[in-house]
Amino acid sequence: MENSFILHMDLDTFFVSVERLRDSQLNNKPILIGGSSDRGVVAACSYEARKFGIHSAMPMKLAMQLCPEAIVIKGSHTDYTKFSMDVSEIIRENVPVFEKTSIDEFYADLTGMDRFFGCFKLASELRDKVIDNTGLPISFGLSINKTVSKVATGEAKPNNKIWIKSGTEKPFLAPLSVQKIPMIGEKTYQTLRGLGVRKVRTLQEMPKDMLVQIFGKNGAAMWEKANGIDHSPVIPYSERKSISTEQTFNKDTTDITRLKNIILAMTEHLAYQLRNENKLTACVAVKIRYSDFNTYTQQARISYTSADHILIPKVTELFEKLYDRRLLVRLVGVRFSSLVHGNYQINLFEDTGEIINLYQEMDWIKKKYGDRSLVRAKALGVNALRTFNPFKGDMRVAKVET
Amino acid sequence: MKFIVSSSYLLKQLSAINGVITTNPVVPILENFLFEINDGNLTVTASDLQTSMITELQVEAKEDGSIAIPAKILLETLRNLPEQPVTFSIDSNTYSIEINSDNGRYKLAGENATDFPKIPTVSDGYAVNMSSEVLSRAINNTIFATSNDELRPAMTGVFVKLDETNTTFVATDSHRLIRYRRVDVAADMAHSMIIPRKALTLLKATLPQELTNVNVEFNASNAFFNFNQVKMICRLIDERFPDYDNVIPLDNNNNVVVKKGELLSSLKRIAIYANKTTHQVRLKITGSELMISAEDLDFSNEANERLTCEHDGEDLEIGFNAKFLVEMLGNIDSDEITIKLSAPNKAGIITPNDKDEEEDILMLVMPVMLNNQV
Repeated sequence: MENSFILHMDLDTFFVSVERLRDSQLNNKPILIGGSSDRGVVAACSYEARKFGIHSAMPMKLAMQLCPEAIVIKGSHTDYTKFSMDVSEIIRENVPVFEKTSIDEFYADLTGMDRFFGCFKLASELRDKVIDNTGLPISFGLSINKTVSKVATGEAKPNNKIWIKSGTEKPFLAPLSVQKIPMIGEKTYQTLRGLGVRKVRTLQEMPKDMLVQIFGKNGAAMWEKANGIDHSPVIPYSERKSISTEQTFNKDTTDITRLKNIILAMTEHLAYQLRNENKLTACVAVKIRYSDFNTYTQQARISYTSADHILIPKVTELFEKLYDRRLLVRLVGVRFSSLVHGNYQINLFEDTGEIINLYQEMDWIKKKYGDRSLVRAKALGVNALRTFNPFKGDMRVAKVET
Repeated sequence: MKFIVSSSYLLKQLSAINGVITTNPVVPILENFLFEINDGNLTVTASDLQTSMITELQVEAKEDGSIAIPAKILLETLRNLPEQPVTFSIDSNTYSIEINSDNGRYKLAGENATDFPKIPTVSDGYAVNMSSEVLSRAINNTIFATSNDELRPAMTGVFVKLDETNTTFVATDSHRLIRYRRVDVAADMAHSMIIPRKALTLLKATLPQELTNVNVEFNASNAFFNFNQVKMICRLIDERFPDYDNVIPLDNNNNVVVKKGELLSSLKRIAIYANKTTHQVRLKITGSELMISAEDLDFSNEANERLTCEHDGEDLEIGFNAKFLVEMLGNIDSDEITIKLSAPNKAGIITPNDKDEEEDILMLVMPVMLNNQV
């Protein structure tokens, strides 16, 4: 482990940077990205906006109160994805193994590269290359493992780099707030504050068993991270393992017909995506979140398929099983997992030639004129599925899980 | 009750019927063999309620009687004994069994024979005779295509249709279908039944290598197979078999003639590079060239091979599950086969080019829906 080099790269205020590339007037101004409806949240904000105490995931309404002069941009997920892919491509070309953990975060394992170029030099050149080619500011941290690198990137920001040399992990982490450790969220932080722990140094000095007693298994991991120990490997970027979509309503609803139609439209949409990518699913799941935020999912295994006429009844059946509380529903979602490459195996008795031809014609039309150009009548009333905008309150997210 | 029998003779007969016994039967007594002695005749029965097998053997016995003996212990004992006469002494009050051999004495607890479920007997049955060879060919050719889907019980067995001129065996899992027809087996009136896969698997394992006559009797609920000293009784699947005749296309005019051996080994190689779950391969027929290809995007594996074929008809690209094709071709004896196709979305039919006069094999396989639009 002494000789390993793990690089963590993070695009600074990624969404804001993309918007600024398109419109330089936005430079040096407080910017909020996210939906402006009642339930919209801040998806990203510029450093100028952070000075007002705004952070991401804050309700947009509150953010607007804190900083009325901020410029609110709806944001375009498609554009961000495109830029993110450009960055991925540059990194892919220059490092042996890399992992993409989110739209704007990457890990790369540079172990062994020191013999040729020196890892810090390699990483710095990679960073320059990203900045030159895309115009997006990016920061990185280089150290012996993922946790330390990630914390280091946080310290390097904005638009800078940092190298924590092997053996200096503990002194580097010690003066920082415990909140900087990746796994410590608001709740754990409060618990630690209650114990009088504020700095990582205190965590480092605490006996491991004591943390285990308080936090269980997580305590051990927390102690290790605080001491700069992390053996988790860089997992190479892989294909997505599931596709899903969900919708939070502007107003909670109990309209069962509407809910069913939405579920149907979602299934239709996802099934088309499967066929379009030559994939099959063997596991379907339905998710409901009631107005009290209790969330339930139900899933079922099926034989590999990508056919609407098998998936729609199955998803509807799951939904009926799941929706038993007659409460207001806040969110519904559909997810297909256990994906494999392949095409639908035609059934001798159940599929007529007409059905198969229908699918092919349907998919051809959808490919040519767009996903929503041809839908079942029931799905007609369900609008906005085509606008995959995760930044509006009324949102349907096409999530990509890796 | 007491009897003497040769250890290897008993072992041979028990092994023939042992396959019926399941590890965790619904009724615990079914972990036993039922031994019944009548006039020096030992009848041994094994059952799982759906299927039962019975064997008969001659033993030295003075009195009649019956007992249920734990199958696993008995078989293991016999397997590890050198050939010799062994004596079974049974206490009819405590059901304890004592086995005496030259090597020593083994004692085990049996159960009351009257607790053993009653095995159905033939009543108002109808009988046909066929040779063991015909029966085992019919089983071998169809059984692999049966379905595992317990939700569709009809397809978990082989459909047997007796007619005045021929007998047809059909198996399908709704993705492929095998129709095996014999003209040398016929009945004087039409009958049909679905025989469960387990019974046929057991039958396949028990049928003797040498040519033997198998007497098949059946009524509405059971079928009886009788050969040598073994009898098998199985409950039929009481379901309607799917209408297979109507789904076999008659207008597949795009014929491809290929060497079976070449195609089979080619498919086996290409399948290594296909997705491990879907086993999907593509056949692309252009003129007299057949290209087989597969890819597994998850591992960046891909492969293709080209074969020559005789082909009349339009060029065509069609996707199949290689596992289906390999299983089917593996069961064909002919050197050359004909693949009859019509469209990429429609069934393909495989038939052997040279075959026995007595038999007619048709293998149908459904393609996968390839996404070919540009």
